[in-house]
Amino acid sequence: MKTSNGLRHIFHKRNIKPRDIPVWILGITIAVLWIAPFVWMVSTSLKPANEVMTRDIEWFPRHVTLDNYKKVFSNYPVARWAWNSLVVTTTSTALGVLFGAMAGYALARLNFPGKNIFFAILIASLMIPTEMTIIPMFVGFLKVGLSNSYIALILPAIANVFSVYIFRQFFLGLPAELEDAASIDGASRFGIFWRIALPLARAPIIATTILLFTLNWNSFLWPLLIIFDDNMKTMPVGIAAFTPVVGTHTQLEGFGVAMAGVTLLSLPSLLIFFLLQRYFIEGISQTGIKG
Amino acid sequence: MEIPIRLPFWNNLTRRIKKATWHDQRIDWSGYLFLLPFFIPFLTFTVVAIIFGAYIAFTDWSIMGAPQWVGLANFMEAFKDEWVLKAFTNIFKYGLIIVPGVTILGLIFATYVNKRWALSGVVRAAFYSPNVVSATVIGLVWVWILDTQYGLVNKYLGMLGIPNIPWLTSTHWSLIGVSIASIWWDLGFSFVLFLAALQEIPHELHEAAAIDGANGVQSFWYINLPILRPTISMVVTLQIIATMRIFSQVYMMTNGGPAGSSVSVIHYIYTTAIVRFHLGYAAAVSLMLFVFILIVTFIQQRLLRERV
Repeated sequence: MKTSNGLRHIFHKRNIKPRDIPVWILGITIAVLWIAPFVWMVSTSLKPANEVMTRDIEWFPRHVTLDNYKKVFSNYPVARWAWNSLVVTTTSTALGVLFGAMAGYALARLNFPGKNIFFAILIASLMIPTEMTIIPMFVGFLKVGLSNSYIALILPAIANVFSVYIFRQFFLGLPAELEDAASIDGASRFGIFWRIALPLARAPIIATTILLFTLNWNSFLWPLLIIFDDNMKTMPVGIAAFTPVVGTHTQLEGFGVAMAGVTLLSLPSLLIFFLLQRYFIEGISQTGIKG
Repeated sequence: MEIPIRLPFWNNLTRRIKKATWHDQRIDWSGYLFLLPFFIPFLTFTVVAIIFGAYIAFTDWSIMGAPQWVGLANFMEAFKDEWVLKAFTNIFKYGLIIVPGVTILGLIFATYVNKRWALSGVVRAAFYSPNVVSATVIGLVWVWILDTQYGLVNKYLGMLGIPNIPWLTSTHWSLIGVSIASIWWDLGFSFVLFLAALQEIPHELHEAAAIDGANGVQSFWYINLPILRPTISMVVTLQIIATMRIFSQVYMMTNGGPAGSSVSVIHYIYTTAIVRFHLGYAAAVSLMLFVFILIVTFIQQRLLRERV
């Protein structure tokens, strides 16, 4: 009886009529189907090699084993890749947020000639597909001798136009009185920005951080191009080589190891997403960013 | 100890700089310093890179030695290259499948969870979740699901009496196989934009329509759809641009094969640059892709605006 009371409570609270129940059931069914590939991924990764390819569909492993995960760590420098990804993603995200906040603050608050032109250039640059710059960047980094380096992965990722855009929008809507008071007290411009404006910008900081973190964590084409050394690979590029179809593995056990690899890879993004869902959806609908 | 400075010109100049105005307000020169850390990498990796790329497109360059100016030769070669034709035809086909798929499904899903119900939050998260994982995850998971012999899709189709479909290994199906995975990956994006737009529609409109005897479909068709037009147009535009740039799924799932049946333009640029080191040629094809995207977006914007 307790459950039914709970359900009635939900109905009441959300102002929902019980005749909507079939609609829900359909919705939940579609949602379950939609995430089924993830379930299949995790389930496959926990199966012993000889149970991956079966005649019938087995949604749950008959025997749960961590063998595939052990193989991932013993056959590949996955820990190193994860470290590379972490260093590159956190650095470029932190700098991207900070520099974006500074530029957004200047464009929203400070009065100086040319700022409207700067903003116009930023918006115009969004029209240009990033892939157009990939060949010249590749040549440039190769010529300077910076391939296979963290710098090559971090530098191009720190100037993010969306970051500037989000912060500019925020600071335009923030009343300036607090800052004026500080400026009368003789604080420098940067002091005002750092101690007063930035602490108030909690919401855009969270939104931009999440956005840039997923963007950088999932970055694929650029690290694929510029990194040749196996030890310098990022996680998405390293694990991409697990593909059992062209790899050296036999197809039979290949998918178990591959699924263990992608489960490890998707864990951080999915975890952050489910914990901070609200900010994700807000951030995307505000800016229209295509990941 | 204070050093007396007698520099009338200098003093005068600093005073004038400090007092300078723009739009009737004191100029805040620190603005430039605030922009600097963002603008240096931005200029380098966007503006300078594009100009440099345009230059490379007119040269013959294989990373070793100096670039040789060849004028329009790369573009001439590209127009005769059957792979270029194939790649551009393919991104068009990808667009025809992925763009309507993502737009229509995204709209249906968003409409579905627009009204709050008990688990709508969880369902929303589920619809969006594939959008946050990397191409590597999408690629490997779908290679497994679409596997001809052991894949889930063919197993279930087999139960319905449909023989195994070689999703990723035949020239007829490979582009469709990659498209299915792409729709799954990209849907969350259009879904969120539609959801945000739907939330803005006042509830009274639907109530008034219901009193006038409109059913759910009619109220969707005559109320939601017209209001959502700008959002639909935006989703279609962004999705077209994204689809023309399709690369990582292709690289992961088919590597452009078999026989180039799923190759995309970026994938061709990638192989030209990395495998064959034809940098000038790769840059030329990139430039063509840019122009192609501009033209397609322009036509699409016109088409969507015309229809009422």
